[in-house]
Amino acid sequence: MKVLSIVGARPQFIKAALTSREIREKGLQEILVHTGQHYDFNMSEVFFQQLNLPKPDYHLGVGSGRHGEQTAKMLLETEKVLLQEKPDIALVYGDTNTTLAGALAAVKLHIPLAHVEAGLRSYNKKMPEEINRIVADHCSDILFCPTETAAKNLQAEGFTNVANDGKLISRNRPSVPSCRPASPLVINVGDVMFDIALQAKQLTRKGKNNAAQILKEYSLKSRDYVLVTIHRAENTDIEKNLKSIMAALSQIAETGPRVFFPAHPRTRKALEKYNLLQSDSTTRITVSEPVSYLEMIALESNARLIITDSGGVQKEAYFFKVPCITPRKETEWTELVEIGWNQVVGAKKANIVKAALAALQQSCEDKQWACFYGDGRACDRIAKVLQDCL
Amino acid sequence: MLNVFLVVGARPNFMKMAPLYFALEKAGVFNPVIVHTGQHYDYEMSLAFFEDLELPEPHYFLGAGSGTHAEQTARIMIEFEKVLLQQKADLVIVFGDVNSTLACSITARKLLVPVAHVEAGLRSFDETMPEEINRKLTDGIANILFTPSPDGDKNLMNEGVDHGRIHRVGNIMIDALMTILETIDASYEKTLLQKLNLKKSNYVLVTLHRPSNVDDRDTLAKILDYLEALSKKTSVVFPMHPRTKRNMEKSGMNVGRAAGLRIIEPLRYKEFITLEKNAMFVLTDSGGIQEETTYLGLACLTLRPNTERPITVTEGTNELVDLSNIEQESEWSQSGNWKKGKIPELWDGKTAERIARKIIEFCEGSRSGQRRAGDA
Repeated sequence: MKVLSIVGARPQFIKAALTSREIREKGLQEILVHTGQHYDFNMSEVFFQQLNLPKPDYHLGVGSGRHGEQTAKMLLETEKVLLQEKPDIALVYGDTNTTLAGALAAVKLHIPLAHVEAGLRSYNKKMPEEINRIVADHCSDILFCPTETAAKNLQAEGFTNVANDGKLISRNRPSVPSCRPASPLVINVGDVMFDIALQAKQLTRKGKNNAAQILKEYSLKSRDYVLVTIHRAENTDIEKNLKSIMAALSQIAETGPRVFFPAHPRTRKALEKYNLLQSDSTTRITVSEPVSYLEMIALESNARLIITDSGGVQKEAYFFKVPCITPRKETEWTELVEIGWNQVVGAKKANIVKAALAALQQSCEDKQWACFYGDGRACDRIAKVLQDCL
Repeated sequence: MLNVFLVVGARPNFMKMAPLYFALEKAGVFNPVIVHTGQHYDYEMSLAFFEDLELPEPHYFLGAGSGTHAEQTARIMIEFEKVLLQQKADLVIVFGDVNSTLACSITARKLLVPVAHVEAGLRSFDETMPEEINRKLTDGIANILFTPSPDGDKNLMNEGVDHGRIHRVGNIMIDALMTILETIDASYEKTLLQKLNLKKSNYVLVTLHRPSNVDDRDTLAKILDYLEALSKKTSVVFPMHPRTKRNMEKSGMNVGRAAGLRIIEPLRYKEFITLEKNAMFVLTDSGGIQEETTYLGLACLTLRPNTERPITVTEGTNELVDLSNIEQESEWSQSGNWKKGKIPELWDGKTAERIARKIIEFCEGSRSGQRRAGDA
């Protein structure tokens, strides 16, 4: 039984890493195809090494380009591989152009398709990712949802074959409705990112990526610093917003904790442009170069508080039970706001400071924590379902 | 003036696009731009269609040609993206369910250009049809969905499509059909029938092209057996693309074996409609012909297990047949007892006008939306 996984962008490497392992452990043959969407090969290599992702069997080398062009080229190359390998099922992840191209190539060849991270919707058709999500979902035979909300979204789009009414399926040999040749199967397996985060945290317990070493390197003490990541255009491209965020960080640092801020290259550029990079040695804010994935996991899981505009980091903060503040107007992960682990406050200085001080004073011990994203065993479930279906 | 791009790729698209092109031109606020993807590789043939429909030559010809689904889709995406980057589009309109429909919808949406789908909501619920995939995905991402009949609305609602995106405007192909019918007079009919040596209401018109019917040797052999038997009783005329004919011959089929079975070259639009309206009955697997025969009140036998146009069966003159009952059904169709059928609501020749009005509303809405956003 042959599974053909198609990855190409940075988040997909991470997602595929663990799913891949479970698939192979269950005795299924896996062919890994890398479209080359993330053309920075060094960065990709780092992920392959750190996460023990098997080397791709095919590297399609598509590289960057305009949306249509890039998708088209990946479509062409993926089709060739599918025709050659004739897999029993193709597996795509997330919502990138690689996802769309892989899904289209498979569906047009009548090769069964499974989509990991199915059912996510921002309901904003202005996002190119939303198009990728909709197309991939509507091409799929098995839709692996990360959350109940995602399964409900698909139900609302007319998918009727929903396992366990959209709730997380049982781990022990989940009995699932038949996936073929009936209607597409929607199945909540939990969030692959949760699996990955837990696994990555394990890796930071020892070896050269151990958390103690990483914290020492950046002169940080566990639970005594605020971790910051800012990369969205609304915050980096609008001077007023970036200024106000930096002022808020300053004020937070004055109250005690250090502020550690690994900056995305674009963010650094903006900081330089608006003259917000203080080289003052007394400042308790450290703006560093980007960190590796495992370094980031170590930094996240040991932080006292995380301030981020990244969707992924908001969730990781929750996985590691670290309170989070989001300097944006909205978030995709509304359940985290409702349960009180995340505060969406916009870019105003006063609001960020107020939320941060409140969070720093509160103890996390008695905060309620719910399994919105499953139990960290999504990949195991995915592999089991594939095994049953093939 | 708003630049509205009309994307066509294959023959069934042309008839749907023509009425809308003229309606948009007439409305006075649009600059309609025709993009021909070249998916239908026979450019001469498609030019003849353009001529019959009195359309200007396409403004852009993408020359996509044939190939596997992915190859064709990919080439169309690459070329259409170049066009959209070269000339600003306020709206892209796609038609039907061919590969161009999906490829151009994706390309436009990725560049944040709004897309309208004409003939939205049709479903055969047969995922083995490539067209079904194209329909579902296009409807999933298009901003405006123009449906021909209530079943289309229902299908979309079942897929959770927001009511506000659905506009039932009727069947645009009927607009084109009514226009071309006006140009067909008695002398034209007589000349064409004479040329093909056919007598009015005394022949069967056959069109078959779907993989399910023509790709499998056994199925095709059975169909030809039936046509051979039929041709002993009456004339049978089968316009067939030379390529299909070649493929059949290559696989050892003797397509010319039945004396009464006339395999002819593909016809121009006007010729085809003339043959259709004068036929005794039609045997087909095409989508559009099921609708045309319903409008013409002519018995139609559709050699398929399903149809994405069920209204032609429930209200019109169409019946689905298979190899086991085709003979019986065709005899019945000649008995004079075939169901009479009626023309479905809004299949009235005014669909293009309704679409044009809706598009004006949409463009005004999005412009005032932009203004509001700008004020804030």
